[in-house]
Amino acid sequence: MWTTVVVSGITLGSFYTLIAMGFALIFGVTRTFNLAHGEVLVLAGYAAYWLWKTSGVSLLFTFPAAVLVALVVCLILQRLFSRLREPLELNSIVMSFGVAILLQNGMLFFFSGDYRLIRVPTFNQGLHFNTLYLSYGQLTLLALSLLVIGLLYLLMRHTYLGKALRATIQDREAAALAGINVGAMGILAFAIGAILIGLAGPLYGCVHYLYPTAGLQATLLAITITIFAGVGRIRGLILGGWILALAESCAVVLFGASWRELVGAVMLITLLALRPQGILGREQ
Amino acid sequence: MQVARAAPVLGLVFLLLLPVFARYNDYVLQVFTHALLLATLALAWNILGVSGSISLGHAAFFGAGAYTSALLSLDLGVSPWATIPLGGVLAAGIAAIMGLFCLRLRGAYFALATLAFVEIPKVITDNWDGLTRGSLGLVGLPGLPSLRLGSYHFDISGSLAGSYYFVLGYGLVLLLLVTLMFRSNLGLALQAIREEEIAAEAVGIQVQRYRLLSLLLSAFFTGITGACYGHLIRYIEPGLVYGLHFSAMPMIFAICGGRFTILGPALAALVLYPVDQFIFHPLLPAGHEFLYGAVIILAILFMPSGVWGQLRKGHFVSIKTGSIE
Amino acid sequence: MSLLKLEALSKKFGDHWALKEIDFSIDEGEIVGLVGPNGAGKTTLFNLIACRHRPTSGRVLFANEETTLCKPHKIQKLGISRTFQSSRPFAKMSTLDNVVVGRVFGGEFHLFAQSTDIDSARQLLELVGLAHKEQTPAGDLTLSEQRRLDLARALATQPRLLLLDEVVAGFSPVAVKQAVDLVRRVRQRGVTLFIVDHFLSLSLRVSDRLLALDHGEKVAEGRPQEVMRNREVIRAYLGTRYEDE
Ligand SMILES: Nc1ncnc2c1ncn2[C@@H]1O[C@H](COP(=O)(O)OP(=O)(O)OP(=O)(O)O)[C@@H](O)[C@H]1O
Ligand SMILES: [Mg+2]
Repeated sequence: MWTTVVVSGITLGSFYTLIAMGFALIFGVTRTFNLAHGEVLVLAGYAAYWLWKTSGVSLLFTFPAAVLVALVVCLILQRLFSRLREPLELNSIVMSFGVAILLQNGMLFFFSGDYRLIRVPTFNQGLHFNTLYLSYGQLTLLALSLLVIGLLYLLMRHTYLGKALRATIQDREAAALAGINVGAMGILAFAIGAILIGLAGPLYGCVHYLYPTAGLQATLLAITITIFAGVGRIRGLILGGWILALAESCAVVLFGASWRELVGAVMLITLLALRPQGILGREQ
Repeated sequence: MQVARAAPVLGLVFLLLLPVFARYNDYVLQVFTHALLLATLALAWNILGVSGSISLGHAAFFGAGAYTSALLSLDLGVSPWATIPLGGVLAAGIAAIMGLFCLRLRGAYFALATLAFVEIPKVITDNWDGLTRGSLGLVGLPGLPSLRLGSYHFDISGSLAGSYYFVLGYGLVLLLLVTLMFRSNLGLALQAIREEEIAAEAVGIQVQRYRLLSLLLSAFFTGITGACYGHLIRYIEPGLVYGLHFSAMPMIFAICGGRFTILGPALAALVLYPVDQFIFHPLLPAGHEFLYGAVIILAILFMPSGVWGQLRKGHFVSIKTGSIE
Repeated sequence: MSLLKLEALSKKFGDHWALKEIDFSIDEGEIVGLVGPNGAGKTTLFNLIACRHRPTSGRVLFANEETTLCKPHKIQKLGISRTFQSSRPFAKMSTLDNVVVGRVFGGEFHLFAQSTDIDSARQLLELVGLAHKEQTPAGDLTLSEQRRLDLARALATQPRLLLLDEVVAGFSPVAVKQAVDLVRRVRQRGVTLFIVDHFLSLSLRVSDRLLALDHGEKVAEGRPQEVMRNREVIRAYLGTRYEDE
């Protein structure tokens, strides 16, 4: 049984990492928290759901639409964020909280409050390895998450753009002095973040029910993982995602499913209490 | 400036006469009763807000107050007049725990921690079936007993107008208390901490002690409002009283109204909620709350000191007595 | 009798010594200037005395009591107040309230500001020449007004020792002259002053003694004229001018 817990923890954790990556990238580059992250994710999920439901295309073809939706929303968001005044971190939280409410109500208007799920029949079948059972859904989730994480890793490590992004994450002023256009990096971060959210959205719609206020949980887990990892560390994000998902699975097994929501919250508060200076951990 | 001085007085007269104007129309009274409740929440939120901390988790206190008072009055049969203050006390107790973990944090990180913190009392309430009856919620809470002054009976829970005047009275008392607090040296300390924590410490202010005090007071009154809410609605459940609604609304009203002023947060609640209910709700039954998202975005981008703060520019809470904020 | 005594005071940031083994003392009623080039450790020394930072080693004694490990708000109660290099007014509060804060929390605690508190705050605004701005939000004051407000707020706490960090940086010659007057008047109130003054425009005129730092080390102390003739001090100042600029 514990192998099942571990395997499903790793699977879900990889997906969590995928969800958190866009949030972490945007925060790292622009120093703004996007509390509407989960709402954009759910919206991308709805876009996929709608396409899947109305035209009956296979899940694979919903990704471009979801990415497109996420891109449009995130680039509008970027315009809003770029107009914020100091203190950026706090003001971005308050404003994106407003954006989250806006998106929730938009989704309520267009999709109603009903619970929706993208049902892919084959996802429920699976493979048995001795006592371990892996559904195709889990396998797809794991494979796609790791694929996207891997691609982002390559982008960040081995391309000029990735290096410029990393330089901006590490030190905005030094990056600006070195001739990097920090403003453009912000737009790029939102764009890449949007692509990541857009790719995660349809998957999210397969594993979680979609409803207008579902986003908060996703936002919280993205924050938790980002704070765990600190900025600019993809490996930290993977580890954070796995630990969070494993802790959740353990809590479900030990105490019951209804305690799951507590895990992320407790982890976030503990991390913050341990690192009161925040992610950057720098004293003034 | 004349407008700014006259508005609160006119507003009060309007609120006092509202049941008469509205010809005791049920819907209008219900909306304004809830608007007044939200106004008290915004006032209470701003006891912490004035110190510069933004909380996204006041529903924790609201829910704790509601549940404490509801359970004590339901299970032990104690009068709500005794259990409501206890609701406030328990909310403050929860705030003390929250303070232990969150008060070392500043700004954005404090806000994030409060956002996560709500989950704790919520999930516990949800799962502690034996005590709280879990996610089913509590039904049939006792209403507020009528008040007797000599031979005069003031009926609260029996009529909507009674409930309305009760909440209005509570709101005015809270407004008075908040005004006294902000004008006192406590208010001075909290504002100094908000503006320049290091300088505040250097003039001898015990920063953490005052931050804790403001959190406790804010939670106490939020808990009281939560308790009153339960007895007025007579039905509560975890998803309702610990819901994002009661965390988001006071924050939005305080920031849009002006979190550096005394009256701003309450005024914003009294304007925005009725506008939402009377104008946007009929137009857009699903999705009318986008209004709150829109106003908070506009406020943070264009009017960070809030509408009332902008009108009263340069007249933020001051020890100089005699001016109405 | 010395009011403030520093014993082998050192502070290390990471592996960089911001201050090394500083021994120094200040007598009651003195005005002492603290000079040295950028990064010499002047502000760091103030931060240690005011307990903003903890020293890596060494002790601070104030009025014969050890205060090395005090809390910042406690040290103020013992009688040390300070201004900040970049002034830190309570921007949204009125100028008068800024000073009242100093008065109220520097003294005995009351729930409400007493009219005597407000009166003495007004007197202090008068002293620093800001009486006509008492209702202006402090954030709207000019930079030099904010510096003077900082000073008034620090004085309001009724300190025995006042630490002034770069009060006159960027002041016009006329304003510096006024500041000289002001500092002398503050001394007449019985306050001991320790003044950081990078460009020496103030401290050379008012100080009884100077302490010169360079790279965290004490290079000279004594009468102003003597210290300014000290070769190490000259080298420290000219050195920075030629090396850093
Ligand atoms: N909080 C800190 N963390 C790390 N290093 C610090 C800190 N504060 C000061 N330093 C370092 O200590 C040294 C002394 O700085 P300090 O601010 O005391 O100099 P200063 O004499 O006041 O200079 P200035 O004339 O520029 O104000 C500098 O090298 C500075 O970089
Ligand atoms: Mg300095």
